[in-house]
Amino acid sequence: MTYLTLDAVDCDGAIRESLDAVRGDTRAGFLAKAGLFGGGALGGTALLGLTAEAASAATAESDVAILNFALTLEYLEAAFYTEAERMLDLSGELALFTRVVAAHERAHVSALKKVLGSKAVKKPKFNFRGTTESESKFRATAQVLEDTGVRAYKGQAPLIKSNAILGAALAIHAVEARHASWIRDLNDAPPAPTAFDQPLSRSAVLAAVAKTRFIVPGKSTGGRRTTGAASPPFTG
Amino acid sequence: MTEVITVDLVDREGGVREALDEGRGATRAQLFRRAIIGGGTFLAGGLLIGGLPKLALGAPSASQDVEILNFALLLEYLESEFYIEAVAKNAIGGETLAFAKVVRDHENAHVAFLKDALGSRARAKPQFDFMDTTSNPDKFRATSIALEDTGVAAYNGQGPNLTKPTLAVAGMIVSVEARHAAWIRRITGKPRYGGSAANYPAPSVLEPSLTRAQVEAAVGKTGFIKG
Repeated sequence: MTYLTLDAVDCDGAIRESLDAVRGDTRAGFLAKAGLFGGGALGGTALLGLTAEAASAATAESDVAILNFALTLEYLEAAFYTEAERMLDLSGELALFTRVVAAHERAHVSALKKVLGSKAVKKPKFNFRGTTESESKFRATAQVLEDTGVRAYKGQAPLIKSNAILGAALAIHAVEARHASWIRDLNDAPPAPTAFDQPLSRSAVLAAVAKTRFIVPGKSTGGRRTTGAASPPFTG
Repeated sequence: MTEVITVDLVDREGGVREALDEGRGATRAQLFRRAIIGGGTFLAGGLLIGGLPKLALGAPSASQDVEILNFALLLEYLESEFYIEAVAKNAIGGETLAFAKVVRDHENAHVAFLKDALGSRARAKPQFDFMDTTSNPDKFRATSIALEDTGVAAYNGQGPNLTKPTLAVAGMIVSVEARHAAWIRRITGKPRYGGSAANYPAPSVLEPSLTRAQVEAAVGKTGFIKG
């Protein structure tokens, strides 16, 4: 798998995060440490805006951080599928999968933004680097994104303090697993490759996302095509 | 967290560790062994058996984890026996049979995991009667969809009731159940799913959850459990 090479990531362990949370440690610095951009041109913390506002009275600061982490992944997935729908001439069940999953991911974005209100991070700018323009690259990337999404939610669930937010995260987690199974079957990969799915820590997920270079400095273009040699051809 | 139980105590066959170690370094496995079903010593050879106070309903606790994991074990027994019987009867074929074999092995692993985790507190396996749902391919697929969808909803419904370390473990199972559900839905409905979103591998934006009472009522209606 060439796009999100999780094996290459030196994971620090989602379970350790769980234990830290149980012990009361915080992971406030995770984004700064993770460095969302491979080149470090912009600080991940600044872009994601996680430190821009204090926690509300109702929501624990750590839960806000988790929700914004999830929102960032959902922005990425939603933009990826929305762009693929636009760019690729898909047919048959792959077209159905793409249409359904794009709608799901956009709905997840809406749901998370609604929960976060003014604390929601802004949508980043994306450059999917050709993966939305080639069916084979699209298939492979979708599979990795969905598998990674499942692992990301699974890593965060035990860290969530609010039961309402946990319920929402679990509801999304299972849907991502259904997406993963669906695209795997479409790709002739095992839909359920193991008896136990592994979690992945926030920092490991962010490192994997950074390696894709799908998130680029700058503001979202709202999905419009951009031109110019210096610009990515298509952005989310 | 004091006196956290280790997988070394519960994972006698090493199967759990093997599953957890898959594709991963020793560090993750060691961490998992320390974390597994923690939050208390309820698994440690009965050290605290009978000694835990009954906490307020809904507040996560080690004793409540035991009750919930036994509820999960019942569902896993049901799934495991369903697939074992379907494969043994050899009346389903093709990709449905291939699915049944893989999922049988997964459900067996879940049963083994939960039994090991619960130790002497694990409930006994009931008797089942699956009637012709394990020999009629259409009934098998419809039943599999119902069992897998219900399993996901059951785990999700219990998530907030679990202590965090046990939730971490349950999370490793629930997404596998969701993968099973999507897989058998695809086998059953592809490529057009009768034009109905309700038949898709992923039929909703947010996964529904069910309470324990709802799940038990649904399972009871099947008549599969003979006591």
